[in-house]
Amino acid sequence: MQFVLNDRPVTFDGDDQTPLLWVIRESIGLTGTKFGCGIGACGACTVHVEGEPTRSCTMPVKGIARRRVTTIEGLSRDRSHPVQRAWIEKDVPQCGYCQSGMIMTAAALLKAHPQPTDEQIDQYMTNLCRCATYHRIREAIHAATQV
Amino acid sequence: MPQLKSEQMALSAAESGRRDFLKGALATAGCLLIPVEVDTRADAAEAASYEFTDWIRLGSDGRTVIGLSQCEAGQGVYTGLPQILTDEMDADWRQVSVEFVTGKDAYRIAAANEPLQQFVGASMSVTQFHTRLRIAGAQAREALLRAGAARLGVRFTQCQTGDGRVIHPMSGRAIGYGDLAADAARIPLNPNPPLKPASERPLIGKNLKRLDTPAKVDGSAVFGIDVKVPDMLVGAVRMAPSQTGKVVAIKNEAEIRARPGVKAIVTAPFWPKPAHNTVIVVADSYWIAKQAADALDIEFDLGPAAGLDSKKIFEQRNAALDQEKAVVATRLGDAQQIFDASPGEIIEARYHTPYIVHATMEPVVATVHVRDGEIEVWGPIQGQDMVRETLGAYFKIPPQKVIVHTTFVGGSFGRKYVPDFVLHAAVASSAVGKPVKVIRSREDDIRHGYYRPCASARFRAVLGKDGYPTAMHARVVGQSLYGVIKQKAMAAAGGWDETMLDSIYDLIYRVPNLTVDNVDTKQPIPVSFMRSVGSTSAVFFLESFIDELAHAAKIDPYRYRRRLLAHDARAIAVLDLAAATAEWDKRPASGIHRGIAFNLYTGRGGAFETYVAQVAEAEIIKGRVAIKRIVCAVDTGKVVNPGLVKANIEGGIGFALTNTFNSEITFANGEVEQSNFHDYPLLGLSEMPKIEVVLVDSDRPPQGCGEVSLGPVAPAVANAIHEATKVRLRSMPLPRQIVPA
Repeated sequence: MQFVLNDRPVTFDGDDQTPLLWVIRESIGLTGTKFGCGIGACGACTVHVEGEPTRSCTMPVKGIARRRVTTIEGLSRDRSHPVQRAWIEKDVPQCGYCQSGMIMTAAALLKAHPQPTDEQIDQYMTNLCRCATYHRIREAIHAATQV
Repeated sequence: MPQLKSEQMALSAAESGRRDFLKGALATAGCLLIPVEVDTRADAAEAASYEFTDWIRLGSDGRTVIGLSQCEAGQGVYTGLPQILTDEMDADWRQVSVEFVTGKDAYRIAAANEPLQQFVGASMSVTQFHTRLRIAGAQAREALLRAGAARLGVRFTQCQTGDGRVIHPMSGRAIGYGDLAADAARIPLNPNPPLKPASERPLIGKNLKRLDTPAKVDGSAVFGIDVKVPDMLVGAVRMAPSQTGKVVAIKNEAEIRARPGVKAIVTAPFWPKPAHNTVIVVADSYWIAKQAADALDIEFDLGPAAGLDSKKIFEQRNAALDQEKAVVATRLGDAQQIFDASPGEIIEARYHTPYIVHATMEPVVATVHVRDGEIEVWGPIQGQDMVRETLGAYFKIPPQKVIVHTTFVGGSFGRKYVPDFVLHAAVASSAVGKPVKVIRSREDDIRHGYYRPCASARFRAVLGKDGYPTAMHARVVGQSLYGVIKQKAMAAAGGWDETMLDSIYDLIYRVPNLTVDNVDTKQPIPVSFMRSVGSTSAVFFLESFIDELAHAAKIDPYRYRRRLLAHDARAIAVLDLAAATAEWDKRPASGIHRGIAFNLYTGRGGAFETYVAQVAEAEIIKGRVAIKRIVCAVDTGKVVNPGLVKANIEGGIGFALTNTFNSEITFANGEVEQSNFHDYPLLGLSEMPKIEVVLVDSDRPPQGCGEVSLGPVAPAVANAIHEATKVRLRSMPLPRQIVPA
């Protein structure tokens, strides 16, 4: 089966029930997208499918046939996406493991709500961060609207 | 591998005057496996570089690679420690990159009276390495200064250094460090170099940006789970459901082994026990391995802990609170005599905390290649020497033959100091003769952790006419951490566990008659260090009880603590700063209720002292608790980088709020009942309060800060809830929904 990953067509010929996460990480070799829980609860594996934030650990690769997938590696070539720039500006990451998923979710939030309220941030940003970088994430999302 | 080079050279600190010319050593910048350098300046791969001390490689192009012996698990050492060295060396911060290093004596530290080892723990990195890295920087600086002066034909006393250059102010000439590297490398290092005065430390106290941030926003940072080694296989595990289980039989082994992509089915022990409780399926990819592991039909013997049950564990603790026999840690005056004299005036309260688990976002994972007489490890390792000794002992080779490559650590909080997951990968690799990465599932990560033990406390006190305690008896019971992992040290201390009595055995509050004792209610449950260790229970107990005494005395809880701390100016300063920042004396906004808590965090074995005071603001609508703001004042000595310290304090508070409201590991029929984030939930973004960190300007050397903010969170919150509702919550996790008293 085929899909488009970060603007390039890719082919996967393994078990089509394999979660997209493991296809991206192991078959394609892009490791910015992380495994956290395997049940779609933590969001560390968040990618965009046709622009929509998607938890790739529970998405069988079959479900994205011929669709466009973007990972953290494809968000920008040079950390220039407003969310990445804001993340650097606010020094958000601590351990950093959840941050690819956070950034992908935040990027989708800003597409849906270019000037999000705190309530919209609360509702949208349900990814988990054990280092609890949450309030810098909130600051960075607001800052990204100014970038 | 630079680490391998370090191993082979095995330079001790005493030999550090000898430097080797490393042509092309910076070529490792392109290595995909280890995050040697996170910036993109890979164009100078051919520049010569020179080693100065155990910590510095200076390139002829001026690039300065600083060795980092401490793993980066989010605490900021990747930036803070190089900042200290760069400052003393007067190197150019823009030219600095960082490389994880292992294997030299200079990288080893000790907590209290424990053996020297390379590890991260007990919030010690900055305190322990501060002077060591300053000396290294000063040694390099002096050699460069002398080389520069010689090149300029002037006396070195006429020269200065700054921003990676040697400067001759009288003539205005300057030479970059890179141009001097070859000359400087031939100058013997001064074993006692002068350190710069505080006025000439331009980077100290500066809010420099984290060096690891860029790689953590574009997905390029390499964590343990991201390691790729040629010819590598991947393993998934199934572990016995109980804490004492073992594998009896794998009934469908042949069938699963025959699946496409499955390479081996291996059993392995769960460190430190010898019994094989784990089955590892090794396959071409994780998903194949995981599917196969899930399909295994395994017969387990649950072992002696088959009946483990949280209700029974609780009853055992509750009984121990009232038993006659306990090990006394502290006895000042005679509290019992006062209790006997006024039995009707005793104020008593009991508190409880459960087992909790680290739940790092990156589950435990390691890649190991066991070869003939040598083992190579790649992973999120918090204890490099722990890994070397564990694998050395298991495979009967010297620890020096175990090479450890440290990756970024996707959260640890103590968990990745325990080498169980590395042993799993090593056993799997040994069986298949190839490198194997073993990724633990979230379910087995939670069900087979090394938990923070449960605890219960009974506090008793009698107040004098002024309302302040004349006598106090504090007893803490629970499964003792040191009773499992540091039995000798505990016995040497008289049989009590300092972690169970954090901040109580050395009570800072002035109480004239004080008895502190503890009971180890043993359980067959794996336990280990978890961020802030025993203080996440003990400070909850203590600071809740102090609050109860203040209310009994009808004295404002801030002023009550202030009076009990009157003998300690630093404590008063921090408490006052928190109260002033939170505007304690002003009426809070409508619907907001405040609670306060204090802690003097004493590092393991008295390694450091950090003062912390917090004010929590709670809003309770229809009984539902929301924490809106937490103010935290901290005296952690000299601050190297305020941004890093604040991040540690903020993150610690968020971590502690998860403990406060969410975390509880329970046992039934021998098994852990929780398994993933749906039933072991973490604090979410919407629940994170505003956090205001205020740092005390201090001339003390840097003290620890990574764990200090956790302890006061739960009591400050519980005290705020009491303020709002008059309901006193004495068991963690606290309910989010308060039922009126």
